Amino acid sequence: MSTTRTPRTAARRSRSRALALPTALAVAVLLPGCVSNAAPEEESAEAAAAPAAGSGNDAPGDEVVIGFTAPAADHGWMAAVSTAAVAEADGYEDVELRQAEGTNDVGLQISQVETFINEGVDAIVLLPVDGAALTPIALRAMEEGIPVINVDREFSSPFAARSTVLGDNYGMGVSAGTYICEQLGDQPDAVVAEVAGIDSLPLTQDRSQGFADALADCGLDVDNRVAAEFTVESGEAVTANLLQAAPEIDALWNHDDDQGVGVLAAIEAAGRDEFIMVGGAGSANVMRDIQEGGSVVQATVVYPSTQAADGIRLARLIAQGKGLSDLVENEVPRSMTLYAPVVTAENVDDYLPMAFES
Amino acid sequence: MPAEPSTAPPAPRPAAGAPLLRCTGLVKAFPGVRALDGVDLEVLPGEVHCLLGQNGAGKSTLIKVLAGAHAPDEGELVWRGEPVRVTTPQAAIDLGIGTIYQELDLVDGLTVADNVELGQERSRAGLSRRREARQRASALLARLGHPEISPSAEVGSLPAAAQQVVSMARALSRDVQLMIMDEPSAVLDSGEVERLFAVVRELTAQGVAVVYISHRLEEVREIGDRITVLKDGRTVASSLDVRDTPTHEVIRLMTGRSVENVFPPRPAPVEDAAPVLSVRDLARRGEFTGVSFDVRAGEVVGLAGLVGAGRSEIVETVYGARRATSGVVEVDGRPLRPGDVAGAVRAGVGLCPEERKSQGLVLGESVVRNISLSSLGRFARGGLVDRGRERAAADEQVAALDVRPRDPERPAGDLSGGNQQKVLLGRWLLRGCRVLLLDEPTRGVDVGARSELYALVRALADSGVAVVVVSSEIEEVLGLSDRVLVVADGEVVHQGPAGELDEHRVLDLVMQGGGARRGSRASTSSPGTSAPPGPTAPPSTTAPGPGAPTTHGSAA
Amino acid sequence: MSVSSSSSTTAQPGAALGLPEPSPEPGASGGRRRAGLLSGSAGRSAGLVLALLVLCAVGALTAGERFASVDNLVTVLRAAAVVGIVAVGMTFVITGGGIDLSVGGLVALSSVWATTLATQALAADLHWGVMVFTALAVGTAAGFVNGVVISYGRVVAFIATLAMLVASRGLAEIIAGRRTQIIDGVPGFADFFGASVLGVPVLVLVFGLVAAAGWVLLNRTTFGRRTFAVGGNPEAARLAGIRVQRHTLMLYTLSGLTCGIAAVMLMARTTTGSSTHGTLLELEAIAAVVIGGTLLAGGRGTITGTVLGVLIFTTLTNVFVLNNLSTSVQAVASGAVIVGAVLLQQRVAGRASSGSGRH
Repeated sequence: MSTTRTPRTAARRSRSRALALPTALAVAVLLPGCVSNAAPEEESAEAAAAPAAGSGNDAPGDEVVIGFTAPAADHGWMAAVSTAAVAEADGYEDVELRQAEGTNDVGLQISQVETFINEGVDAIVLLPVDGAALTPIALRAMEEGIPVINVDREFSSPFAARSTVLGDNYGMGVSAGTYICEQLGDQPDAVVAEVAGIDSLPLTQDRSQGFADALADCGLDVDNRVAAEFTVESGEAVTANLLQAAPEIDALWNHDDDQGVGVLAAIEAAGRDEFIMVGGAGSANVMRDIQEGGSVVQATVVYPSTQAADGIRLARLIAQGKGLSDLVENEVPRSMTLYAPVVTAENVDDYLPMAFES
Repeated sequence: MPAEPSTAPPAPRPAAGAPLLRCTGLVKAFPGVRALDGVDLEVLPGEVHCLLGQNGAGKSTLIKVLAGAHAPDEGELVWRGEPVRVTTPQAAIDLGIGTIYQELDLVDGLTVADNVELGQERSRAGLSRRREARQRASALLARLGHPEISPSAEVGSLPAAAQQVVSMARALSRDVQLMIMDEPSAVLDSGEVERLFAVVRELTAQGVAVVYISHRLEEVREIGDRITVLKDGRTVASSLDVRDTPTHEVIRLMTGRSVENVFPPRPAPVEDAAPVLSVRDLARRGEFTGVSFDVRAGEVVGLAGLVGAGRSEIVETVYGARRATSGVVEVDGRPLRPGDVAGAVRAGVGLCPEERKSQGLVLGESVVRNISLSSLGRFARGGLVDRGRERAAADEQVAALDVRPRDPERPAGDLSGGNQQKVLLGRWLLRGCRVLLLDEPTRGVDVGARSELYALVRALADSGVAVVVVSSEIEEVLGLSDRVLVVADGEVVHQGPAGELDEHRVLDLVMQGGGARRGSRASTSSPGTSAPPGPTAPPSTTAPGPGAPTTHGSAA
Repeated sequence: MSVSSSSSTTAQPGAALGLPEPSPEPGASGGRRRAGLLSGSAGRSAGLVLALLVLCAVGALTAGERFASVDNLVTVLRAAAVVGIVAVGMTFVITGGGIDLSVGGLVALSSVWATTLATQALAADLHWGVMVFTALAVGTAAGFVNGVVISYGRVVAFIATLAMLVASRGLAEIIAGRRTQIIDGVPGFADFFGASVLGVPVLVLVFGLVAAAGWVLLNRTTFGRRTFAVGGNPEAARLAGIRVQRHTLMLYTLSGLTCGIAAVMLMARTTTGSSTHGTLLELEAIAAVVIGGTLLAGGRGTITGTVLGVLIFTTLTNVFVLNNLSTSVQAVASGAVIVGAVLLQQRVAGRASSGSGRH
């Protein structure tokens, strides 16, 4: 569990010290970092790194060097992706990970991949800033004989990656929509609202499409839709307006649990609880809310933050010339689309360890 | 005024033919002001037609109407016998009307050649033909007697006089039939004025008409053929022959009254009073050294010298606007911190700077706020300004100084030069200074307003203020001051009572110069300094001038 | 506005033409002052008021009671609070001839610093005011740094505050470890800022107080007067004895303080501190200020206009969402409304202030 949630422990400690007010203020103002917020990462990372049992793939093999580059971790989910990937690599003695500094600069990421090529790494796990822009350099790596594992954002050429691991954005929408259909049952007039992420991104469009398609299946549609920017602030701002637009809501899907903190703040401020809310991506905060109950959040749809970790595993196997031991095939598959499961009070305990801290 | 002051032969009389331009009943109203209220003007081909009037009389507005910058509300323009409407500057240019504005309309960041070509750039396949442009600019500059100005120099880096020349070159580069010159000589020295006149004569000889505006009646006499006088937006006299109109008559027409005494009389000197302002060995590297002088309460001390001699630098350093390298400035015996304007103001020093618009006034703010700017604390309780008291105090100054228009809520930028100067004086009157520094107090101020300002300065001194006056017009310094410091090349070369000096003596002192800064490019700017050796009046306590009966403050 | 123009047009010509003037009646100056006040605030902003009314009419017509309800009004005002408070500070900086691009970063930094575990622990221990104090202190201090760099270091404001924007957001990311810091276990904080006084939420109340204080400060105090002078002509202000550098320093510090206040508002609204708070806030604030009629070049500024500008923006978003418009349509309409509001403002303001000859 994250220490972010339990400042009371720290509070008790400092109370026993009985600090005088001026000193205390000075501590608060001058030393923000003295109680680090960075601690909880390891817990969840370890949990994620625990190798699954019963697979022959974990047996140590040839030493391999894997290069890993991903966008800047300016968002809880993205931070979790990198953390999980690094933890995964740490779990294998035969893997040496070269991690490039996270960046949102396409040019910089290209040069990072160039460096990997020059160093002659055995495989590259690449979560591109922009799939199309990184395709040429990935093609070059492949031509040089270095297998590239493409994660999350797809290249524009099928030849640019040996294997591709994708989350299922469309599937997220479908899972959320199907869940809401189940909950609302046979109510064709039910009001469904949607808080999307950044509207110009294809992933947002895919999620919304899946959501709309699944709802249509049970005769529902999205009555009110707003788009936020994956930030807490924007989530709060758009939801405040959304709640005015729709005085009665039956179900609400929020694409992203990071902005969901703001969405929930707006719901609480408006004193609304007549509807069920479904989250998106699967942050630890939301899962804890689901676990505890009593919140409007009844479920969240996971967009796995462990996909780069999966990429690391695949890269290791490909570099070592192994196949997936649970499959009949001799080789690692060309592509994999991860499932977007719905997490509810019933199965939250299974998913909480893999959840990311926003 | 001598009958034949001009040293050059008069320009050939234009054949009295059809007028080139005739305006009748021009009216132009701005919100709250009728800037033109029935103006008539008739210009003949080949003549120099002088437009006279006090600041605010409507001269600038009339020019803008002629240049197409303002559309008149009423009235008729007849160009070569045809009624025309000049609605855009381009339309005016197309007709053949060229304008040289007083506020230079040059682009600082472009080269001389680019500025000359501005608006009529010639290009081939979209590429400007820079070498040709430079050659054309060179030719024009040479014709204006300024071959030394490089066509590839950046305009912003040129001195004001050179910029004026560039502006003229631009107007000349077009095929003009009427050239309007708004105070072209204001920033020129006498040699440059002579060259300007040569150009004007050359133009008129070719049949081009020139509308010439100047506050210097001397110049009008030398170059002009006919005079039209504006007052309060109306033509009060049109097309008078320069030769037949005596100067006092012109002044009477401009001011509506006859001006007898330009300078107020000096009271007897009070030698024993303790100095209010005391400057000791003040120096600023590269500008001036070893400046020491005292100013007593009630005394007016003038700083005379050429432009660039360091006069403005001295007063600005006394004020703290420039930080002194060494030396002491004391007010009432207490030293001022160098480079601390706010400290100087608190000690009771005020400055009316040389550049009213860029250094003195917040042009977008009202007259009230400009007047109260340095005394805000007095109207504030707990930081809140009592606007009633502020307004009342400003009203008092506006009334006492006779600021026109009488509306103190009007932005200061709308006022004429003389009235802007009064607003600045009002600021310091309201604050109540011990020491008042006036840098070029009458630049751009017309005759009537000048004598008002002189009287104000004297009244201030009489009330116990120590006044320092800087002026490029030696006559003004001599007439206004009790004591005069002559500054040359960054040194004070002479100090003494004004009554013991005359213009020639001052010029001698200036020419001998100081040794502080060799090679500085000082230039004369006083038209009086280089006036043709006419009969100069003996030193007198009132206006000394070339034979004239003390009637012309500005026309020395 | 008609009062001001008529009184001046009748008063002017006589004075300008040097005709014998009627002796100034005592009532005239009083009337003039009242007219000045009108044209100074409401009059000069009449176009914006009109634009806002049009927006409200559109909202009421298209969304009916959902728009014209107290709840919705409160929602709009709450939404306006954060950007509004920052825009008030921005009005001072811009009127004083500067620009502050760092506000978004300062809000993020203040919110993060005030919600670290250490600060939260201390706040839980002593009083939730510790968090408020921390946010204000951090914002003010960062604004002070801006001011020192700009006025004494003579770095161009655009560059200095741009650097601060980047640096402060980076520092916020470091402190927060790129996490969203949830405020939890600080008794009283959420209660205080979530409460309402006579039906007015505290957040809206704070916004109102900041705006009112800003109006008084700008229009009625020596500080405000000097701000106009410094922005209108810094050299003239200096030569009039105003300490221009110190004043500039104070302007940026003030802007930093408003960022701190805005950070508290944002913490209360979202129950979090985050390095992503205040993203693009600088653009929203500057846009609101400029639309409000403050001159980007300095020397002229209006708090009333700024508040109206902010309200126009937030009402616009509200009306869009109530009508369930897509974000692309919103973007197009926003652009059109901004230009429309400014055009309307210029027309009406031009007529209103023609008497005072301002352009």
